[in-house]
Amino acid sequence: MAATFTLNVNGQNHTVTVNNPAMPLLWVIRDLIGLTGTKYGCGQNRCGACYVLVDNVPTNTCLEAAESFVGKNIVTIEGLSPNSSHPAQLAWIANQVPQCGYCQSGQLISTAGAMLAGYHGAAIAPQIQNVCICGTYPRILQAVETL
Amino acid sequence: MSETESSRIGEKGSQKPGRREFLAVVGSGLTLGFFFDVVPRVAEAQPAGLAGPPANTQVNTWLNISSTGAITLTVGSSEMGQGSFSGLAQILSEDLMVNYASIQTVQGVPATGLPAIGNSIGTFGSSVTQSNYWNMRLAGAAAREMLVQAAMNIIGDQTRANYTVSNGVITYTPTNTNISYGLVASAAARLPVPANPPLIPDSQFRYIGTTVSRVDIPAKVNGSAVYGLDIRLPNMLYAVVIHSPVFGGTLNGPLPGLSPGVTAWVPLQVVAGTGRGTEATGMVNAVAAVGTNTWDVWQATLNATIAWSTPANASSLNDANFSNEANSAFNTNTPYSAGGPNIPPTLYTVEGNLAAANAAIAGAPKSIGPLYTLPYVPHNTLEPLSCTVNYVPGVSCDVYVPTQFASSVLALVNQMTGLPLNQIRVHTTYLGGGLGRKIEVDYVSQALQVAMAIGQPVMLLWPRPQNFLRDQFRPMAKVHIKAGLDNNGNVLGWSCINVSPSILAQRGYPVGAVGDSQATEGTTALPYDLGALSTQWVSHPSPIPVGFWRSVGMSINTFAVESAIDELAVLAGKDPYQFRLGLLTNPRWIAVLEAVAVLSNWTAGPPAGHFYGIAICAYANSIVAEVVDVSLNPGNDPDGQPALFNVNNVYIALDCYLSVNPGQIQTQLTGGMVHGLNAALYGRQDFVNGVPQWSNFLQNRVIRMNQMPQVAWTLIPNPAQSSQSVPIGGVGELGVPALAPALANAYFKASGNRIRTLPFFPNATMSGITN
Ligand code: FES
Ligand code: FES
Repeated sequence: MAATFTLNVNGQNHTVTVNNPAMPLLWVIRDLIGLTGTKYGCGQNRCGACYVLVDNVPTNTCLEAAESFVGKNIVTIEGLSPNSSHPAQLAWIANQVPQCGYCQSGQLISTAGAMLAGYHGAAIAPQIQNVCICGTYPRILQAVETL
Repeated sequence: MSETESSRIGEKGSQKPGRREFLAVVGSGLTLGFFFDVVPRVAEAQPAGLAGPPANTQVNTWLNISSTGAITLTVGSSEMGQGSFSGLAQILSEDLMVNYASIQTVQGVPATGLPAIGNSIGTFGSSVTQSNYWNMRLAGAAAREMLVQAAMNIIGDQTRANYTVSNGVITYTPTNTNISYGLVASAAARLPVPANPPLIPDSQFRYIGTTVSRVDIPAKVNGSAVYGLDIRLPNMLYAVVIHSPVFGGTLNGPLPGLSPGVTAWVPLQVVAGTGRGTEATGMVNAVAAVGTNTWDVWQATLNATIAWSTPANASSLNDANFSNEANSAFNTNTPYSAGGPNIPPTLYTVEGNLAAANAAIAGAPKSIGPLYTLPYVPHNTLEPLSCTVNYVPGVSCDVYVPTQFASSVLALVNQMTGLPLNQIRVHTTYLGGGLGRKIEVDYVSQALQVAMAIGQPVMLLWPRPQNFLRDQFRPMAKVHIKAGLDNNGNVLGWSCINVSPSILAQRGYPVGAVGDSQATEGTTALPYDLGALSTQWVSHPSPIPVGFWRSVGMSINTFAVESAIDELAVLAGKDPYQFRLGLLTNPRWIAVLEAVAVLSNWTAGPPAGHFYGIAICAYANSIVAEVVDVSLNPGNDPDGQPALFNVNNVYIALDCYLSVNPGQIQTQLTGGMVHGLNAALYGRQDFVNGVPQWSNFLQNRVIRMNQMPQVAWTLIPNPAQSSQSVPIGGVGELGVPALAPALANAYFKASGNRIRTLPFFPNATMSGITN
């Protein structure tokens, strides 16, 4: 049965109606709210492409029902900064991290979350377990060492 | 072409420009159209059942200099992570004599107002920079000389030596008068294209050979880069595909009913030219649920009752059976016959003479006969397959698709809709990885079928499990190598027989006397002195769909050949690096081997407790060698499963002739190496009665940051210069093939165990990212 609820994404409230209350946050963000920077990779909590910050904690969005995120602060890659000025984004550009780029929203969200949790420099790296098929791990390491 | 004038260099009156010709179009500013070259693999990737794009689509790349001076390069290839757009702009900027950063690169969609002949072509075979280096240089030089000629006509002094060019500004030196490119762009377009525009000397390069920033990166750090699934069109619906669980199965009952969010079900046929192996043209091997969002239609495909037939041969589509068929194929005595049916298993003699090789091996004092076994391996692009279609019957068809092969998409749309080519637009999105899977157009044919059935724009998705289950896999293979040594460690004889299904035969290509080039690459033209030589291939009868997988046959055969060379070194009691040097006279191979030895400090050796393995191969006109450093690990890997070893370091040396962007080469080599490592450790698909078994990263594990080795790399500093008749070397796939044998050789050195069957960890699973 349909459900209507309001989510706070990147500081804005979005009221959405889902046919199936089990619809995960990922698909609400992508298909109903229309923010496409958050990616679908595995749908199974393996890859991290779907990561967003939920109350500052990097969280996968491909499994858990969107409705369970009501009342939380959700930040997607589009909300990390207004103009790609988040230090992690700047470090990613300076170190030319992305290859295909498909995993990088998740990598950046994990990095931003680690920074919010108080990690700095190389200590951020163990906090990032997102999959990168293109093997950008050395560049990610190089980038986080500057943070 | 009716409203435009054109001139071109080369054959006068030809309707089809040649490889090194440029087509000038009068319009806004100066526009040069030219071929974006394809690699040999292109002809083989184009399915035989699918007509290639007609000749007038061959001009696929445009350089435009507008009257405001804006420079746009509309590129006919796909950006899937390899940074090729930036590399092309880098090359162009040299002879055009402009600032690299001033060139805008755009994906190859026909530009409005130009003849509709700008559709892009294939992106594979490590080819983008490799194939187009000289085209870019000549295009830049031709445009520059046309612009200077236009300036000379305005000034009225035809002495070329009185003009200099810098950063897009022409200076008439006697009066120090500056004329910008934009000012003369439209006039330049009316001039003939020069036949032999002078190229600048290499010593004047400002960008080639330097690491410049990639143009695609800013959009890839803020979520704005548009991949296949990010297209949003007015009134667009979402479709999700589910295939028969059994290869060869077809829909065997009614379509399911509608449910909330699901507005239609569409049966999907195998379209001519897209079917492989078990999947014959016309079969309904899949259905799509269509509706208002991805999740509802995806869940409908999983929850609805859909009846599928089981094909008669399903029980034969088993790993054990494939293995038995391969074993008996080694004994086949049905050789290839010209014009014959050549039904697998058929024996193809690729090089040399088996009887002579066998005699030499039999007479050798020492010999080996290892059998190497490799599984079917799925592609694992992080971005799943998708395609979006906006079809207006009789009017237009717009296709938005992450594809490596837009011209094949164009031909397919033309075939399925009957629309003329100039009413079809193929928009190539960013690719979240291609790896060879996005050469195929099966998913495009499905999106078209849905769009034609529902009369509304639609985005079609293969959810992750469909990508792993319904792949066109890297072929399974068994490779049997026999070789004999004399007492001094010289190789007296070498016999290599590869048994594997044919990628080309599944695409309807006639396979000639020397077999399927995709199956044999890496076993042929080896520069080692191997004595009496025989190289053979036997076609394997398995009908499981197979396809191009980053580095294709090289990734299979380099494992076998370079493991066997290592086994011979052990048999000879020699150091594997020195043993290889002793078999080589090819200076490029020797230089690459020596470079990786220096980089890894091979002679001094790794630190205590670490062990080295080495491997080398040649591909796409480049040569690469890798040294892998492992240490034994009796404990567990980061996911709590037996580790056996840690991969600590990988050293890579490459000769690709000229290096355009060293930083980009580094990331491509690293990415290729990781792809090879994922496959060597974990990559496989298993089959039980026609049903593929592994559907997600849970079983198709890949490495995370916590298993990433350190990577060091070097480029051969002064390689032989390329010339217009010798293309520069490719890079995109080069990191892949040498990793698996170098790893197996290192593990042997560490443990005494020779791994001849991949992957190392067939039962490993991947834990969740969030605990
Ligand atoms: S898509 Fe959510 S973890 Fe992979
Ligand atoms: S950049 Fe391609 S998957 Fe990470």
